[in-house]
Amino acid sequence: MGHKVSYEQANAAFAKLSEEYEIWAPKRFPKKGRYSDTDMIRYDKVSSVEEIEYKEKSDMPAKEVLTPISESLFYFTEDEYIESKATSKKLLIFMRPCDIHAQHHQEKIYLSNGNFEDMYYKRMNEKVKIVMMECTEGWDTCFCVSMGTNKTEDYAAAVRFCDGELLMDVKDAELAPYFDGTAADFKPEYIEKNQISLTIPEIPNKEVLTKLKNHPMWNEYNSRCISCGACTVACATCTCFTTTDLIYNENANVGERKRTTASCQVKGFDDMAGGMSFRKTAADRMRYKVLHKFHDYKARFKDFHMCVGCGRCVDRCPEFISIVATVNKMSKAIDEIVAEQK
Amino acid sequence: MLQLRVPAGLVNAKHLALVQELCETYGDGTFHIGTRMTFDIPGIKYENIEACNKKIKEYIQDVDVEMCGVDMETIAHQPAEYDEDGGYPTIGARNIMACIGNRHCIKGNANTQELANKIEKLIFPSHYHVKVAVAGCPNDCVKANFNDFGIMGIYKQEYDIDRCIGCGCCVDACQHAATGVLTLNKDGKIDKDACCCVGCSECSIVCPTGAWSRSTKPLYRVTLGGRTGKQNPRAGKLFLNWVTEDVILGMFANWQKFSAWALDYQPIYLHGGHLIDRVGYKEFVKHIFEGVEFNPEAKMADDIYWAENEQRGNMHVMPLSQHKHAGPQEKK
Repeated sequence: MGHKVSYEQANAAFAKLSEEYEIWAPKRFPKKGRYSDTDMIRYDKVSSVEEIEYKEKSDMPAKEVLTPISESLFYFTEDEYIESKATSKKLLIFMRPCDIHAQHHQEKIYLSNGNFEDMYYKRMNEKVKIVMMECTEGWDTCFCVSMGTNKTEDYAAAVRFCDGELLMDVKDAELAPYFDGTAADFKPEYIEKNQISLTIPEIPNKEVLTKLKNHPMWNEYNSRCISCGACTVACATCTCFTTTDLIYNENANVGERKRTTASCQVKGFDDMAGGMSFRKTAADRMRYKVLHKFHDYKARFKDFHMCVGCGRCVDRCPEFISIVATVNKMSKAIDEIVAEQK
Repeated sequence: MLQLRVPAGLVNAKHLALVQELCETYGDGTFHIGTRMTFDIPGIKYENIEACNKKIKEYIQDVDVEMCGVDMETIAHQPAEYDEDGGYPTIGARNIMACIGNRHCIKGNANTQELANKIEKLIFPSHYHVKVAVAGCPNDCVKANFNDFGIMGIYKQEYDIDRCIGCGCCVDACQHAATGVLTLNKDGKIDKDACCCVGCSECSIVCPTGAWSRSTKPLYRVTLGGRTGKQNPRAGKLFLNWVTEDVILGMFANWQKFSAWALDYQPIYLHGGHLIDRVGYKEFVKHIFEGVEFNPEAKMADDIYWAENEQRGNMHVMPLSQHKHAGPQEKK
């Protein structure tokens, strides 16, 4: 049902909601950006509408709410362990359509991939209610339309931010009472065309794939990519993490197990016990990531490409590497290889 | 040769039309990029000086008065008559140089132009000489280190251990581009030798997660006493570290007063650094920081021992009668 809610009314609703919910939304951290006098926009708990940064795309994706960069899984002593506690409140998360699609990928990997349910993810995920932030303009690094992630119906409520008021579409019965008496017509709109578009190449057969893996196009990234992992940390869909046992001082048998975001772009990611590793150069790692997002994932799950086109990897790369340019180069390489085959 | 002041080396491009016109109408048709980032117009004939000075009235108004807020009716903070058709009233305080700073450079920690323009207002017009340059970071592309005052934008860096993924990029960046104060520890987190950190922000620039970020308080380091010259050129020495803009502006607000005292109120042509030498570092500090309040992070050199690159032997050894003195002078 549609609603027209003033900031004042919304803040009153936020206050009431806060008894039951943690409200998470993109928030601006002034002067905390990569470059001086630039800001960082990332997810944080908010208690008022004014704190929500809706005019700009967040640097970091919504996934940080459910899977923070580092989290404690359990604490152990010499003879027992205690699980960490998830928040006792429900989670109301403001997300754009691309982040909502990314959330579906996250669920697939954490909850059903390999028939394994990650309980630390599950206990957070089941608390989530999504507030979709209407997104009709996008930015110069967005290509959600190309990836088919510009639209979604999967939300408890949708919101359009206007000056001083919100237009909302509240679908969730639990949320509806918080907005009583504000009825108005509203249905969210979606972006239909981005400033950039991407044609995803088809890799017709295994021989082409093998040749593509060895194509010289990847060599460029040996000199450009610094293997920092910014693209995967900023990626709305990446899920990789590593676990570390943090041993408390003075007693090596007491400590905690933490999990920390990991990146296939960082050297050492694929180091095996025994010293073997598979992707030794930045080019190898870049190729692995690009094929994963634009080929392998879909080949395995038979539904969608993994990339949702949020463009955050482009925004955050300290070397200004563009995934769009990279995929276009890949398309060209595939065309070359296919032409040779004929 | 006519030199137009270009504070921070940055003005609206529309002024280039004037520069070309001056070069072609009054100069010899060539243009020189001044070594201190001025617009230099070579070959102006004596008889054209007056016309040239008239022609640059608007430029001075736009750049010094409007952009920097300079009061042209004072010289060294004293009331003085200003003839707006007469060109620049003084040449003592040299053009303030700056790199492009964070308005364009990703390494820059400071908006160098904004600071340079604020300093311009404090040191110009004046017959007392001083050379100042502002660098956006300690990489010091503008070679501030060879100025009397070399200012470099820095930040204290903050580390959010919970956002660190242990990629090690900051360790590599610091080792490669800065002072190598970071190490990756056994828990996959970062240890830092804070003492040797130069505040350059290389760690924050490469950090993939924002675990490293600049503090929200812009700070500066300042080198003192750098100079070129035929007699005794030398690099500056670290003078101030982690000081705020307020400290810097407070210091420059005292420069004219210090110069006047050191030269017994006779604005003779003598490079600013030599005044500091005559007075002695410890005495200089008393004058230059009069009424200036330091921020809590600020550090200042207790003493400075410059290493002079002697162009001639025995340069400081001379008859007593030739020794130079600061403060009240015997009238000759």
